[in-house]
Amino acid sequence: MSGRVSGRVASAAFLLLLVALPWISPSYRFLSIAISTGTVAITLYGLAVLFGQAGLMSVGHAALMGVGAYSAAILALRLGIGFWGALPCAMLTAALAAGLIGLPSLRVSGHHFVIITYAFCTLLTIVLTNGGDATGGASGLDLDPVGRLFGVNFDSVRNYYLLVLAALLAAMLATDLIARSGYGRTLRAIRENEALARAVGINTALHKLGAFMLSGAFAGLAGVLQAYYLRHISPGLYGGLPSLYIAMSVMLGGARVLYGPLAGAVIVNFLPEVLSIDPVDSRMAYGAGLVLVILLLPGGVIASLADLGAWAAALARRTAGRWTQLAQGR
Amino acid sequence: MDAAAMAILLQQLVNSLAISAIIIMIGIGITLVFGLTGIINFAQGELLMLGGVATWLLVGRAGVNFFAALVAAAVIVGAVGFLLERSIFRFTLRRPMNGFIISLGLSVFLQHFVIRFWNSYQKSIPDPVGGVWQVGSIRIAAVRVMVVAVTAAAVGFTFFAISRSRHGLALRAAVADQDTARLMGIPVARYVTAVFVYGSALAGLGGALMIALFPITPFVGQDVVVGGFAVALIGGLGNVAGAVVAGLILGFADGLSAGYGLPEWTEAYSFALMILILLVRPQGLLGGTEGPAIV
Amino acid sequence: MAALEISGLRKRFGGVEALAGVDLSVTRDAILGIVGPNGSGKTTLFNVITGVFRPAAGRIVWEGHDIAGHPTHAIARRGLVRTFQQAMSFPALTVAENVGIAWARRRMAAPWAGPDAILDFMGLSEQSAEPAGRLPFGLLRRLGLAVALATAPRLLLLDEPGAGLNEAETAELGELILQLPGRDIGVCLIDHDMALMARLCQRLVVLDFGTKIAEGPTRAVLEDPTVIDVYLGHRP
Repeated sequence: MSGRVSGRVASAAFLLLLVALPWISPSYRFLSIAISTGTVAITLYGLAVLFGQAGLMSVGHAALMGVGAYSAAILALRLGIGFWGALPCAMLTAALAAGLIGLPSLRVSGHHFVIITYAFCTLLTIVLTNGGDATGGASGLDLDPVGRLFGVNFDSVRNYYLLVLAALLAAMLATDLIARSGYGRTLRAIRENEALARAVGINTALHKLGAFMLSGAFAGLAGVLQAYYLRHISPGLYGGLPSLYIAMSVMLGGARVLYGPLAGAVIVNFLPEVLSIDPVDSRMAYGAGLVLVILLLPGGVIASLADLGAWAAALARRTAGRWTQLAQGR
Repeated sequence: MDAAAMAILLQQLVNSLAISAIIIMIGIGITLVFGLTGIINFAQGELLMLGGVATWLLVGRAGVNFFAALVAAAVIVGAVGFLLERSIFRFTLRRPMNGFIISLGLSVFLQHFVIRFWNSYQKSIPDPVGGVWQVGSIRIAAVRVMVVAVTAAAVGFTFFAISRSRHGLALRAAVADQDTARLMGIPVARYVTAVFVYGSALAGLGGALMIALFPITPFVGQDVVVGGFAVALIGGLGNVAGAVVAGLILGFADGLSAGYGLPEWTEAYSFALMILILLVRPQGLLGGTEGPAIV
Repeated sequence: MAALEISGLRKRFGGVEALAGVDLSVTRDAILGIVGPNGSGKTTLFNVITGVFRPAAGRIVWEGHDIAGHPTHAIARRGLVRTFQQAMSFPALTVAENVGIAWARRRMAAPWAGPDAILDFMGLSEQSAEPAGRLPFGLLRRLGLAVALATAPRLLLLDEPGAGLNEAETAELGELILQLPGRDIGVCLIDHDMALMARLCQRLVVLDFGTKIAEGPTRAVLEDPTVIDVYLGHRP
């Protein structure tokens, strides 16, 4: 019980720190790294719902961010719809795209399916590169600044950071609510035993597609936030390699625990940038790190830390018990 | 179809054979490893890249003869496969999904390992064979003939080993049903190692052949591996003949789209084809295994 | 009229005719047993009835509706539910969650007040907070049945409920199954354990090579010379 309370205090303090960050560290570089980490983390939460709850792995999630980002850019260019209007539209198009990618998962077994997600991702890069004027081809598209809403100027890094943070917290909250709800339990049932899930009356096809679309909406949101932060998007951002990093990050942090995806994003995107580690070195380190994590800590870094904490607490209790016994002269 | 059009068609088919060859080399390893262990080894592309880089080092830096380097690349990458199987993949056999995730990490590691020591620029070697043959109106680069010949030999050997030898029979039994194979006294674990080593050696060979054809970068594995998966999935996982047929189909699709269609969409055709085929026939064109029945 | 009425059911795998035109009627008031040698099509019959496989031909009429080819989950929601020989539980979820998932999907009135009552009936109350994957095999079998009961079925198809259990466990499980018709749950089961079948079933159907070779009251079928020849003759 006290463990749970101290856990809550720790996470409240952590979240407070995230909110206070712009006032603590005003460095532009620091905040912009935090922004890009935050957008990736939102995608990771979407993937955590899909993989952690429903057990469906995707190595094509960068493509879904791309669908969101390009939807926003095209809406702005063709219809003059700005950031706020693009948000829901891009979430919808990314969700629809995710449903399309998820469709083969209803026919093809999990192993085959992972490859299909990757093929879709590569396919999208090709389409974007060859899209001509509509997608800006290989050089991509530019976006206007977000502008003001309710008198708040979101073009300042600090305010944009807070916006991304709000979206991230919403994504975390949504993930947590899904995991605790009956819906989350249904998804876990599908993950654990699909045949039995069907036999007890769960429409597994519907829920698998649903999980995909939900996950796509997260990625679409992240895509828009990232696109308006970068103000320039191109196909290379959304290809196979970025997708692999997304899949890796979620596995590193752990897909089934609340802070796992955030930890994955911080380890892969934030730390090496902030610490100015050579990107080649840092990538070698993640590659090797992922191998070690899966071999040694298959639940991911955060779940293993929690296990370690529980183990230490149990050890402490046992030791304390010993000492009381000794003190009582037994 | 007039003679000129016929010649162009034949020219494209001949050109695409060399592309098929590379895809088949990587596809066979993928399909065998998957069939036996259920592991989708994403790092197979990087093994191919390592084979190319090894060839580049041996030929370009050390001045070794290309054909000696070809054999060396297969041996070196086979040895890497052995190390990876012994130190990593054998611990993931009960959970093939973990093996897949680990292979993602390995792929990133191997790419950047190569960049760390030999930078990320394109690497190429001089044409090891040289010359162009003229057959009627069709021009055939000798190097492409060499690539196809080496691949044909490797495919022929693989077929022979799998269909005729005692080990091949045991391997097919293990692919079909590991538990029964074990009960029959087949040392399945040893076959897993052997298949990893053999698949890696083929990828190494494929890499050596690839760098004889085109310049490569440390990221080349990512492009090739999807083709390898497409071949393995279209042909039916665990099905070597299927991989060869699918490799030829994809290579032709590639060659024809480059010659007649829109060349910038070339890769898109093969992925779209793969997705379509899997939707219609999830077990692949020639039928394959769903992988070992481990939950 | 029987609750489940099957006629001319066919299913083929490659060159093998797993079901070669099976007719069967199942009532909900008497326990029906299906026996036959391995490969005679028993499990395939269950798989086709519950929509795991699509039949090549034939009708499956459940409470007046032809359900042939319907998806498994839709058939389950109509109250026609099966258990599995192997895939009995959701391993990483707790026993209570396992039953809760099925309970949340029930479409019919259940003869139990809630999932706890089912766990109590199956003797699993003490394990309710444990992950299903940690249960010993005997309890896992019971959990499989508990999950099926939680869907509030009108007819249960049990696929070898006694497989892997020792004699005492089989007997206990048999007693529980015997109580089901009294709670308005029809039972149809497959098992190789002839003692168990003789104890539980009022009627038996014998399958061999995908066809029905005998049907009738349990005692009469067990004494039928053809049946003894085909199936029981294998007993030492």
